[in-house]
Amino acid sequence: MTKQCRTLLATMCLAIFSCGAYAQNKTVAIGYQAPLSGEHAQYGVLFRNSATLAIENFNKSGKLPGVTIQLKFEDSKSDAKEGVNIAKKFSDDQSIVAAIGDFSSGVSMAAAPVYAQNKLAQLSQTASHPDFVKISEYQFRNITTQAYEGPLIANWANANGAKKIAIVAIQNDWGQSVVKYFADAVKANGGEVTETEMFNPGTRDFRSILTKIARSNPDAIYLGSFYEDGSAFLQQKVQMGIKQQVYATSSLYEQKLLDLAGPAANNVYLSTTFLVESPEPHVQAFVKEYEGRYGSKPQMFAAQAFDATNIVLNSIVAAGGANATRAKVRDALAATKDFPGVTGITSFDPKTREPSKILTKLQIQNGKYVLLK
Amino acid sequence: MRRSLSILVIFIAIFVVLPGILAVVGGGYWFRVTTTIGVFAILTMSANLVSGTTGLMTLGHAGFYGIGAYTAALLATGLHWPFYLTLPVAGAVTACFGILLALPTMRLIGIYFAVATLGLGEIIHLTLLNWVGFTRGPMGISAIPGIALDGLFAASDMGNYYAVAITAALTAFVLGRLAHSYYGNALRAVREDDQCAASMGLNVVRLKIQSFAFACFFAGVAGALWAHTTGYISPGDFRFSESILILAMIVVGGLGSLPGAIVGAVILLGLPEVLRPIGDYRMIVVGAVMFLSILFLPRGLLGETSVLSLMRRQFGLAWDNAKQLGWRQ
Repeated sequence: MTKQCRTLLATMCLAIFSCGAYAQNKTVAIGYQAPLSGEHAQYGVLFRNSATLAIENFNKSGKLPGVTIQLKFEDSKSDAKEGVNIAKKFSDDQSIVAAIGDFSSGVSMAAAPVYAQNKLAQLSQTASHPDFVKISEYQFRNITTQAYEGPLIANWANANGAKKIAIVAIQNDWGQSVVKYFADAVKANGGEVTETEMFNPGTRDFRSILTKIARSNPDAIYLGSFYEDGSAFLQQKVQMGIKQQVYATSSLYEQKLLDLAGPAANNVYLSTTFLVESPEPHVQAFVKEYEGRYGSKPQMFAAQAFDATNIVLNSIVAAGGANATRAKVRDALAATKDFPGVTGITSFDPKTREPSKILTKLQIQNGKYVLLK
Repeated sequence: MRRSLSILVIFIAIFVVLPGILAVVGGGYWFRVTTTIGVFAILTMSANLVSGTTGLMTLGHAGFYGIGAYTAALLATGLHWPFYLTLPVAGAVTACFGILLALPTMRLIGIYFAVATLGLGEIIHLTLLNWVGFTRGPMGISAIPGIALDGLFAASDMGNYYAVAITAALTAFVLGRLAHSYYGNALRAVREDDQCAASMGLNVVRLKIQSFAFACFFAGVAGALWAHTTGYISPGDFRFSESILILAMIVVGGLGSLPGAIVGAVILLGLPEVLRPIGDYRMIVVGAVMFLSILFLPRGLLGETSVLSLMRRQFGLAWDNAKQLGWRQ
């Protein structure tokens, strides 16, 4: 045996030995599917940032001695084809005890039957389609849906004296639910919906919609959109001299809206579950840590992902840490109650698996989000 | 002799070897990837008949794929039709739509036809998105029953694989016979010079409509397979970007070449999955592979001319020795 051979053998023995030593530290994995490329890549990056932060903090905290939590992140491109592939991949990987994602309801729901079939719990931080959690008992979400937000805003607007309201919303699954739940609540309060206008994703010219709703002469306008369309809508509304008060969905709580719309965004009423300026210490700790690490303040989507990851981590602890199985993690997730997240105290309804949270009321004043008491 | 041997080899590879390997090593993930590739192979083979063989570049194929998917999904969820009925019906409905929508565009060629089909694809996508009462709009259709037969077999990865593989094999057979025959030659003549073809007595408009109808039929069948194997569809699955993906697959594989269309689907869907370990860079690599393959193999990985002689040699397509019929090399 030559010297080189012996060295090689010794190295191999060492490698095997170190592997053995490493194996005593058990690894439990969480699968995370979200778009890192394609048209929604900006959100997937936020999710990865938050999830990485949450998992590293957890592993450092020593809550589960001898167990390392591993994050397995896969890029779905916001494409249903890839979303289903990833769901299969995660299901095959026996180290994964729970999955988080996807971003859009469409991809989350395409992946959902795969998770249901493989009895792997799936928690989406953002899928707000009303049917998502109805697919099977393995689907969860930690975002409040319009079934909760719509009536809250409707009551708020009615209390402020707005009885006749026009609704403008984006034409997607979420926009459909914006219209439905808000309109139902307004009618239940004895109010009137003067006009309902849906616009296709990517619309930047709202002048015809604005003309139409102005003609119906409402007391207020309810806007269900994201910041790109929302800022264009608000600017064109001011340009056309339409004076009605705007109430908006929580999706418009985004610094970029203020940057893009400028003074046109002033006076808009909206609600949110996450507030960057919140004085609560755990929210401040998260904001500081996130900003220090990634160079920008976290917004609602980053906070949702941070909470989703922590809820899953919590469930893994409750399911027995090193002995956590998929079934136990699912049951622990379903039992989530009063979880103190950065987006508020979250509980899952044991039967419907719908989350409940507290929404905070805001108004945009002088280019800033201001908390209303 | 050579012909039956070639067919036997392909059959064994698709129906025995590949599912065997997948069942042993792959698990659900690779089954799913192969199933998706199969669905897209049907799409590329059908789009290839129009864009490659007939030379009418279509940018609206995803729209017809969507019509098929929605037909199957609505029939299966609303009327509880089993998959063996929804598949052909989805194809037939899509073919009817294809003929109807293509009629006004049949006098167009080249880039004008491409832009017209782009418009058609967008019309279909926006109809699926905005006709909420019928298609459920952006909510999509969920709980579409899988490929299953009561008492015989339940929905499974293997069942999905065989359903897609059998349909893809049938598609390849039909489209192969169409493309490698006198009929296929007529289509190629239309592609090369439609006025010349017309002067030779070919009914150019009828040939164009027929090839478009065949392509739409198989696109509809592919849509039905996608709906049944996935269980949830929404208009987002049938956007313009899918049409572009299909076109890219055909061009990378080789315009006008049937095996090329399959190879294109395998590469553009398989490569991103194989490259998952390299994370953020995988789509850059996929783009680079596309770019380089077009740069160095502008006729595609399996160009039309070489494939035609290969098909003639291996499968005896469009060549009858006894009657001395067909075209000579």
